[in-house]
Amino acid sequence: MAFWLFAARRAAHTAVTLVLLLLFMYVLFRLVPGDPTTIMLGTGELPLEAQQRLRELWGLDRPQWQQFVTYAGNLLTGDLGMSFYFRRPVLEIVWPMLLNTLVLMTPVVVISIVLGVTLGTWLGWRRGERIEEIGAILALIPRALPVFWIGIVLLALFAYELRWFPIGGMRQAFFFPETWYQELPFFDIARHLVLPVAAGVLTSMADPLMIQRTALIEVKHEDFMVHARARGLSEGAQRRLARRNAFLPVLTYSAIMVGFAFGGQVLLEVVFNWPGMGRLMVNSVSQRDYPVAQATFFFMAAAVVTLNLLVDLAYGWLDPRIRHE
Amino acid sequence: MSDAVLASARPSRAREAWRAALLPFASWSGGFAACVLVLVVTVAIFAPWLSPYDPLVNHFDAAGQLRRLEPPSGTHLLGTTYYGLDVLSQLIHGTRIVLIVGITCAVLIALIGTNIGLMAGYYGGRIDTILMRATDLAFGIPFIPFAVVLVALLGPSLWNTIIAISFLMWRSTARVIRSQVLSLRERGFVKAARIAGASDMRILYVHIFPNVLPMALLYVAFDIAWAVLAEASISFLGFGDPHQTSWGQMLYLAYVSGSIRQAWWWTVPPGAALSLFVIAVFLVGREYERLANPRLR
Repeated sequence: MAFWLFAARRAAHTAVTLVLLLLFMYVLFRLVPGDPTTIMLGTGELPLEAQQRLRELWGLDRPQWQQFVTYAGNLLTGDLGMSFYFRRPVLEIVWPMLLNTLVLMTPVVVISIVLGVTLGTWLGWRRGERIEEIGAILALIPRALPVFWIGIVLLALFAYELRWFPIGGMRQAFFFPETWYQELPFFDIARHLVLPVAAGVLTSMADPLMIQRTALIEVKHEDFMVHARARGLSEGAQRRLARRNAFLPVLTYSAIMVGFAFGGQVLLEVVFNWPGMGRLMVNSVSQRDYPVAQATFFFMAAAVVTLNLLVDLAYGWLDPRIRHE
Repeated sequence: MSDAVLASARPSRAREAWRAALLPFASWSGGFAACVLVLVVTVAIFAPWLSPYDPLVNHFDAAGQLRRLEPPSGTHLLGTTYYGLDVLSQLIHGTRIVLIVGITCAVLIALIGTNIGLMAGYYGGRIDTILMRATDLAFGIPFIPFAVVLVALLGPSLWNTIIAISFLMWRSTARVIRSQVLSLRERGFVKAARIAGASDMRILYVHIFPNVLPMALLYVAFDIAWAVLAEASISFLGFGDPHQTSWGQMLYLAYVSGSIRQAWWWTVPPGAALSLFVIAVFLVGREYERLANPRLR
């Protein structure tokens, strides 16, 4: 199969998945008792006639499928509706939060992958030694810790007790630099980033680490590794060779990680009060601000699905056998 | 050869079960983890007798003042919360939520995931396509946000939390079981059963199912840990059942009441207990993984 045909088919699959997701979400949010007129204005606040007029104005009297088509159509043009809570277009609210999330998640993803691959290579290389056994168990531990608890402990120790870092948020309202380095641009954001990034890396590092370790153990016994040893390559050079060849599974996983990063780690953002997508999502659900909740939810899902598509396409490009599945 | 000789050569069923139960003790980490799990189950069963107080009763001192944020002492071994509740009693009662959520979710996930995997793998064709597209869809839904939305819409309760968790978590079990069934389907004993005239249902549940059981059970074990973590996360976000004491709920209340600054006796025990439980499940699961997947040995 030609690559473009494969790509077109995959893209069509993804488009169908996205529409189904949208439909699923639409139905989910219609499970809420009441409709926007009652949620937005409260019950009994409005005379029934006025409520009826609003319903007609907003198209809520039309059949559900028509409403869905309108919703999906508006979404394609970037119109995500109005926030009940902020009374502003949803896109205006979601966009800055998305940027904030990326500010937090980019270092988390990059550091997790670099550390995970390094440690995973090291552990896989020492397969069978006692240190590997202990290391593998140690690597499991952060994966088992709830990220919000790591956050609480880090905050209690380094923010409240030692006062090294701020207690949350992204910027200090009135920050007056005292020394030269504090005047550097982004200094304020950077010191707000340290604890959340540390907590995020601790929990996100385990998966790339274990994947790299497993891949390395498999690669280690391939013929080209035997050949490398026979050629007399140094231990370090052998390990680098193995690491590079074991990297593909982690690369796949990284793309999935990036997909999730767009949605932000809800728990991480909540515990560190980070003004990102995840926190916005939780807040909008608590405030019954459904247009915002719907938009953030769809955005997170769309990011995951789109990144999965990119992984598929990359695989199809690199390995033609996959196209014939 | 007589039957008696054969029977003595093969270990009995009870003996095999006993050996399987003792398997985690083969390594020090597995043995430690198994002890932790036994401890949690015991505490959960005897919670009302073990806990010094009712976990939801506010305590007052002699002067009638609420015992707010008292550090550990003789009367309150792990201190009190901002609301004057006994931390130790809450911790002990939290084990019940862990067991209820862990076991119920694992059973639901196993039922949904295994059956979807069996059907998709066995029938193939259109059924496979539809089921796997549904699985893809489930993989596209972000887990915690979905659970939060669902619990918020249905109303916060333990049962709704369990539903929300199980609604998505079957996805990985379904994929793994399907891939196992795909290879089992072509094996001789399945073909033999089909030629002998066995129905699809019989082939699926009598011949194929026992062969995917070890893998399914392994996934169930790990799902217990994920489900417990998920429940704690949902509770920490404030969508937990307000009438139950779960470890996630304790951390949520400590966080929102602004007590994490000083009340380590309130934040450390539930978090540490949660982590210990999840680690224990992972470690015990790892021991059985070697049994189910010989390549790891």
